[in-house]
Amino acid sequence: MKPEVDPKNLFLEISVLLTGFNNAELYATGMFDTYYHALQANTGQANFAYFFEEVEKILLENRNEPEKINQAITSRLMQPSSYNGLAGSIITMWYTGNWGNDVIDGQAYVQGLVWDAAQTHPPGAKQPGFGSWSMPPL
Amino acid sequence: MESKHYDVVIVGSGISGSVIAKTLTNAGKKVLILEAGLQAGIALEGEAAYNVYQDYIRTFYNAPAKVPNSPYPDLKDAPSIDVLQIQKLQPGQVPPPGYLVQKGPLPFASDCMRGPGGTTMHWLGTTLRMLPNDFRMKSVYDQNVDWPISYEHLKPFYEMAELEIGVSGNVQDQHYPGIGPDFFGEDYVYPMRKIPQSYMDGLISKKTDRLKVTVNDKTYQLSCISTPQGRNSVPNTRYAYSKIIWDKTKKKLRLAKADQYNNIPSLWDNYTGERCEGNASCVPICPVQAKYNALKTLKKANKENLEVSTRSVVSRIIIDKKNKRVEGIEYKRYENPGEPEHTNLTAKGTIYVLAASAIENAKILLASDAANTSDQVGRNLMDHLVMLTWGLSKEKVYPYRGPGSTTNIPTFRDGEFRKEHAAWISPIDNWGWSWPVFSPGSDVSAAIANGLFGKALRDHINEVVTRQVLLHFEVEQSPEPENRVTIDPAYKDALGNYKPVIHYSVSDYMLKSFEAAKIVSDQIFEANDIEDHTVYNPVTDPDYVVYKGQGYTFRGAGHIVGTHRMGFTKDDSVVDKDQRCWDHDNLFLAGCGNMPTLGTSNPTLTMTALAFNVAENILKQL
Repeated sequence: MKPEVDPKNLFLEISVLLTGFNNAELYATGMFDTYYHALQANTGQANFAYFFEEVEKILLENRNEPEKINQAITSRLMQPSSYNGLAGSIITMWYTGNWGNDVIDGQAYVQGLVWDAAQTHPPGAKQPGFGSWSMPPL
Repeated sequence: MESKHYDVVIVGSGISGSVIAKTLTNAGKKVLILEAGLQAGIALEGEAAYNVYQDYIRTFYNAPAKVPNSPYPDLKDAPSIDVLQIQKLQPGQVPPPGYLVQKGPLPFASDCMRGPGGTTMHWLGTTLRMLPNDFRMKSVYDQNVDWPISYEHLKPFYEMAELEIGVSGNVQDQHYPGIGPDFFGEDYVYPMRKIPQSYMDGLISKKTDRLKVTVNDKTYQLSCISTPQGRNSVPNTRYAYSKIIWDKTKKKLRLAKADQYNNIPSLWDNYTGERCEGNASCVPICPVQAKYNALKTLKKANKENLEVSTRSVVSRIIIDKKNKRVEGIEYKRYENPGEPEHTNLTAKGTIYVLAASAIENAKILLASDAANTSDQVGRNLMDHLVMLTWGLSKEKVYPYRGPGSTTNIPTFRDGEFRKEHAAWISPIDNWGWSWPVFSPGSDVSAAIANGLFGKALRDHINEVVTRQVLLHFEVEQSPEPENRVTIDPAYKDALGNYKPVIHYSVSDYMLKSFEAAKIVSDQIFEANDIEDHTVYNPVTDPDYVVYKGQGYTFRGAGHIVGTHRMGFTKDDSVVDKDQRCWDHDNLFLAGCGNMPTLGTSNPTLTMTALAFNVAENILKQL
């Protein structure tokens, strides 16, 4: 990996592309640093480096061409054979707070984006208030 | 402690034990509760109650599988049943992990919580009464057995239970098959107004209420009604009671009048939990304690008359060989729940009550060679057999919001069909496909496996998860002698106490209901434009059964009932109509184990009514 590129920035950029949630939404979970550390801790050094080299290439090659970026992600990152399924693990982490089957930590569960995507909240947290369930979500 | 003599020694601090302890101590009796779980969990107020509960919530957040027992400590010295450990024992092999030893042929897939507050810590909170015909199945339908008591006998105790738990509900909505106009008392209301029904309930009821369905050549008109629940809503100003008191002269328990009903808040703070806040996690834990749990009852006991000994695991009842009376209860008090070291102690009282759960009560009796003239101890183990059906609605219904279920279809709770097949109730589930297929996590993994990411993934999750509909068909299981709890010296836990050995199966009377219920489900789905996604998997589903060539999967409901039933004579039952052991006149049993049949109500309300009845009978006897 080129020393001038902070992999944290790449992690943010690729997370936005993989999850469909923007920077502000991802930062609002308060989980960015936790997830970055979880990613480092759970990924072999070499695989981590190859993955972010590839991410960087994809982003550089297709600047301002979202369609092409998506195609590149599909063919070069989303294959189960690509980087040991790391792209999928990153999505799982943001959506559910899990790495594999393990909960990263209690807050990770609470901040799972799947609940936002489904217009609801994680069971046992972010409660919407008495009677809210009798109306469609806001 | 063993030298002290109490009026009553109670085993277990769940809802039965707590109701009895509260009633007796407030009537001036000295009570000891033996509780197998940890001291921290018995905290009833302030910071201590708050801190232990926050620990439970943290444990729940961190649990990979958020099963009913997941927030609560599982102790080596007093193990709880784990629904994830239901592997069958294979002859000649090392027993698989788990507290229950599963002999099959089918695994028993229900749990209960062994610790302060018992299973009310993770119950859903549904509080339906049983129906009059549930108490006379033999006389009316020539099935199962009759109870030695009737609905009418239990009715005043149901009212006590509804006050104690704090039920929110609308009496006007409660139309069930086979009930008369006096099912509720005149002008009766629940303590609180009904919990609002979910948005999804509204959509489904629109096309299901009054829907005509045909099953086994008969046509039934379905109805959808609000479900009474033990969680706080808005007090009903027409409700006029505040507590339950012992009337010494009449020798009866009764409701005491009051100007208004006050919601019972959380243990730690009067301003938390006064209303349900929509956490949608009733099972396994209500973070604000708007949902009732038994510790709220224990908090109202007269503390001067109550002692609770935690870390005290009962192993045996001691019986005087000559007069057959109970002389004491042996228990093992551990210091550290992970270590086998313990002290052997004996508790003594005038009267004894086992309220340790249906399975634990039976196990203790079997280990003591007690109360078993009838040979019924441990037999007739029952549960609701929950057949689930799930599908995708055309319209977005927005599940995963609100309490687990707020509406039910009561149409098949009673009727002539009970001569042929079992009755069932159909709750409409508010929590999507989480139970059968672990949604929405499984939807995310499936989408990733299909290569979805980014906005397409987000949109897909929104499209799929917001349309998930789940129906339950909770089938009443019949009492059968071979479905039972036994003990075997080969299987013991860390303290050297017996592990329950379970023999379990289902027979045609229930299987026929699965067939009928699926036919009803198909018609509901069709009327509501719901695409059926139900899959019963013969390989991966533990409780997979086949009837007339068609496979069905049922799941455990956590409604563990029937292991020491009440009856008419000492030859047909373990306890009499007063819930006193036929064999030992100073030993009462409490809890769902006393129920001769299950009906189609979640059993906690009935168990609570029965517990008040036990308390009254003990006060009469003391």
